[in-house]
Amino acid sequence: MSTQSTQWAAPAPDTKRLIGIDWNIGGLLHAGPRFYAFISLLVTVIFLGLMAWGAFLFNGGGLMAMRDTYPWGLWFTNYMYYVGLSAGGLAVYASVHLFGAEQFRPLSRLAVLQAGVLVMMALLGIITDMERFWRAGWMLLTPNPTSPFVYTGSAANIYMIIAFVDLWILITGKGGEKLAMRMTLIALPFAVYLHTTTAFVLSLNKARELWNSAVMVPIFLTSATASGIALLMISAYIMQRFNVMRFKKSMFRSLSTLLATVIIIDLFLLGVEILSIFWPTSNHPGHSARMALFFEAPYGWVFIPVLILGVSAFALLAGRNRRHLPAVQLTAAAMYVVAIFLKRYTLMAMGFAIDPLGQFTAPYFPSLVEILIALMILAIGLLIMAVAAKILPLQVPDQEIEEHAHEHVKQRAEWAALDAEPQAAQASVTEAG
Amino acid sequence: MSDNHLEPRDAGSPEVPGPETAPQGLTISRRRLLEGMGATAALMAAGVAPALLSALPGKASASESPSGGGDAVDAIAERNQPVNYPGRPVKYAQPAGDEKWVMVIDVKACIGCRRCVYACVKENNIGRESGFTYIQLLEMEPGSIDIEHAKLDYEEGGRPDKWYLPVQCMQCAKPTCVYGCPVKATWKEPDGIVVMDYDKCIACRNCIVTCPYGARHFNWVHPHVPEDEINPDVPLDEKAGTIEKCHFCIQRTRNGGTTACTEACPVGARVFGDLSDPDSAVSKILRTRRVWRLKEELGNEPMIWYVG
Ligand code: SF4
Ligand code: SF4
Ligand code: SF4
Repeated sequence: MSTQSTQWAAPAPDTKRLIGIDWNIGGLLHAGPRFYAFISLLVTVIFLGLMAWGAFLFNGGGLMAMRDTYPWGLWFTNYMYYVGLSAGGLAVYASVHLFGAEQFRPLSRLAVLQAGVLVMMALLGIITDMERFWRAGWMLLTPNPTSPFVYTGSAANIYMIIAFVDLWILITGKGGEKLAMRMTLIALPFAVYLHTTTAFVLSLNKARELWNSAVMVPIFLTSATASGIALLMISAYIMQRFNVMRFKKSMFRSLSTLLATVIIIDLFLLGVEILSIFWPTSNHPGHSARMALFFEAPYGWVFIPVLILGVSAFALLAGRNRRHLPAVQLTAAAMYVVAIFLKRYTLMAMGFAIDPLGQFTAPYFPSLVEILIALMILAIGLLIMAVAAKILPLQVPDQEIEEHAHEHVKQRAEWAALDAEPQAAQASVTEAG
Repeated sequence: MSDNHLEPRDAGSPEVPGPETAPQGLTISRRRLLEGMGATAALMAAGVAPALLSALPGKASASESPSGGGDAVDAIAERNQPVNYPGRPVKYAQPAGDEKWVMVIDVKACIGCRRCVYACVKENNIGRESGFTYIQLLEMEPGSIDIEHAKLDYEEGGRPDKWYLPVQCMQCAKPTCVYGCPVKATWKEPDGIVVMDYDKCIACRNCIVTCPYGARHFNWVHPHVPEDEINPDVPLDEKAGTIEKCHFCIQRTRNGGTTACTEACPVGARVFGDLSDPDSAVSKILRTRRVWRLKEELGNEPMIWYVG
């Protein structure tokens, strides 16, 4: 399309410069009817969601399907899910700086934008769920250090700010590679911290046998990374499809290898947890009874697909003959993004299925109000991404990519030289220390 | 603490000249990764340390009997200390005295009539359509104390071939609900009662998740009580959209009364009193009878005992 050249060459005539960023207002104004149809759909969904939220605030939680036996519902599933997607995408971006994974540099702005938007969606989920949300200021005034909620909530807020600041730094190029590097050093630990504390909200509960397991934290981290990479891959394909950004085939190939690796670790950890719960010498009645529900109706209908989708996604990405095909990569990524959502849902719902007094309660299924609110949040996220795709310079300039690719080649030559002279290498390492 | 000690060693380790395998470029990026990991560890240590410290209130961390072979019951009363107590008096009740309120329930006597439940609903302005009660009665199978095979919604009346286990907020000495509340909207008073601040609760429901006794209930709908049945001594509208739970009838017991459930029980299965007073009925029962607590292994140290 014609936009292709204006997007990443000379600034378009309708560009407005504000806070150091060239906002391509023209791109938004001259967008086609399909774009505006999509935007109107999103706005309608947001409007419906706002009405649902208003009804909830006015009438109380009775409109939700949650009850004392299921105190958390769809919003918490989404909180875990969005936080994970966000942290995972960021890991890809960070690997550019940490491991010199230059092939992912074209993704950097998209990854950081997506990370920020997803955490924002996670936070909106909390706010729209709390019937007394205006009292949330108490979290700052009298935070309780023994509540995991305080950590995950504050981490999500700080992380969102970091992501948006980082995006600004990446687009404006202020501070150069050095500042971008420093931001990675802040953002990545924070992503890990955010996701660890989110897992803690579930796992640090002696009252809930199913979750009270240390392996929850690594499972959360691997699920997050896998689904985050998968979503980033999908976004990249979409951006490419609409000529907003362009990527090399090899970049997708690298990304899918990374995805396959993380998926298998994720499945492995899940397998370890299942084994330690059911093995006769380790079988813990409370824990096994709850975990067993994963494999029985009705929860089995949701959980067994998690395993099937996960294994198939891995198989697709591991197959030598077809793994370079975009359709295969996209299918596998989509499968894992769905699998992780189902996994988050079962994990949350199953923890509540048998309440602390040993009573089995009918499965939770979100009410219309809950679904509308969740769709509203999704629509807000999509709206921001769609508008950003039009007005923000998300494509990393070729010049920047080439510069670093060049450096990379130079560095590799240096390493090769080091291998050739082991003595010299040792000397230089000692010097560095 | 130990995390902090580990940090410099981790960050520094790539600099030790070792068997030459890693190319220099990789060394640098690995050091950066480790710095990142170190920073994460430090962040988490910084966050978790105060959490762990405040989870061990006062003498709670001392061993079983501080007086060395002294009275174990005294030691329990001693461990029952305030948690997250803001130091201001609660509305709707007198300030806490020197008592340590506890309850003993005789499950051999209890006939499962649920009169305690109804008395409690009336006394505490529990919304009639709210779908919960502070007290929950479990119908237990003979020969087992496994609550996973118990029945909560048994038919009215109670049957002679079953036994009944009343469960309500245990006013735990180590209340996980209080530890879990992000804004300190619930706390443990000096006399051991775990109270709620309805004006502060943000409705996050984390306390429901952290309580091992299913004792906390959320007002999903606005609490409705018929005009002529409202108890003016207890809040009503303030409770909408927040958590409530048994509070040992604080409005009565701090004025010298007893709890509504104790009063209502036709067979005298409930005994309520002050554990710090050696002559109280509860003190005598705990010292002379074989008693047990529900889910004692979780370490919440519930302040309701069962006997029978
Ligand atoms: S029984 Fe539950 S609500 Fe009551 S003090 Fe213990 S943890 Fe808190
Ligand atoms: S629901 Fe209210 S009392 Fe319970 S943890 Fe949240 S703020 Fe605290
Ligand atoms: S009133 Fe007494 S006998 Fe009846 S259920 Fe309650 S404790 Fe048991």
